[in-house]
Amino acid sequence: MWLPVLGLIIGVILGLMTDIKVPDEYSNYLSIAVLAALDTLFGGIRAQLQNIYDEKVFVSGFFFNILLAASLAFLGVHLGVDLYLAAVFAFGVRLFQNIAVIRRILIAKWSQNREKTEKNDI
Amino acid sequence: MDSKKKFSFTFITIVIGFMIAIQFQTVKEPAVRDTRDTWELRADILKEKELQLKLLREISSNEEKIAQYETKRKQSKERVLRETLEELKMEAGLSEVTGPGIILTLEAVHEELLLGKQPDSVSPDLLKRLVNELNMYDAMHISIGGRRIINTTVIRDINRETMIDGYALKSLPIEVKVITENVQSAEKLFNRMQVSKSAEEFFIDNLRVKVEKSGEPITIPAYDEALRIRYMEPVKPDEGGKS
Repeated sequence: MWLPVLGLIIGVILGLMTDIKVPDEYSNYLSIAVLAALDTLFGGIRAQLQNIYDEKVFVSGFFFNILLAASLAFLGVHLGVDLYLAAVFAFGVRLFQNIAVIRRILIAKWSQNREKTEKNDI
Repeated sequence: MDSKKKFSFTFITIVIGFMIAIQFQTVKEPAVRDTRDTWELRADILKEKELQLKLLREISSNEEKIAQYETKRKQSKERVLRETLEELKMEAGLSEVTGPGIILTLEAVHEELLLGKQPDSVSPDLLKRLVNELNMYDAMHISIGGRRIINTTVIRDINRETMIDGYALKSLPIEVKVITENVQSAEKLFNRMQVSKSAEEFFIDNLRVKVEKSGEPITIPAYDEALRIRYMEPVKPDEGGKS
């Protein structure tokens, strides 16, 4: 379980060390891509906790969501509509939902564990 | 979670971490916030303006210096000498020349080839005649088959081979490049060469002279050997004009 967290830390360190900077006009795309990635990540964690995790869905969803979000933002820029807000909204809502589900599951597990231990104590 | 799943998950978290770090770096605010008030800003502008003024002054003084050096260099004797030397070298044929002109191509007459006759080599007399004719019509620089023709060039028959300055002519077709003073004189030369007599004489030797106008400037190579001047002497100033 700790390997993904380690990966996250390694990624952050790598990113900070390489000192890459995205030009201002593209930072929009990157931000929305980050949002999409986070959404997929939390979706993956939730699926894992619900025991419906599928690797193919997860990996394909990751790349597909990023591409879709970036292309939506691109289209928005060219149409003169802030279309990336749609992506932000969609991903934001899903992010909250996923995190809520994860929280519930964790709480349920935790309370189950406590009940078990209490039973064992008795 | 088996190890394969774990690895793919880890890979994706690495990518996400990377993206987050880059995004963070991109939108990071400047480390120090600007907290100067109006008067401080004014003072700073003043400082910068002074610096600008100083730099401008430096630039203009440097430019002045450059101009001075330039005029000095132009007026110096060395430059005049150099220019003269270059001019003389060009005239003597010791430098590569590029300019407007025409290209003559000497080739065998096809009809004779059909009859089975081998094309003869170009006779030195004809070549000399051609060069003389070109010179008569204001040609300035001439090269035959890539060899520069200068005043002391010898064209002669050695062991039944036509040699220019001791170098055998290449086989036919031979290109004769001629540079004239300007485009107009090139045009004139072109017209004259089309009706020239030497072309007819070449035809007697089973050779055809094709005259071409060149749209682009022609380049003629420099004379690549040392000039040997044996019988020339500079005229002494007091003797000049006596004879």
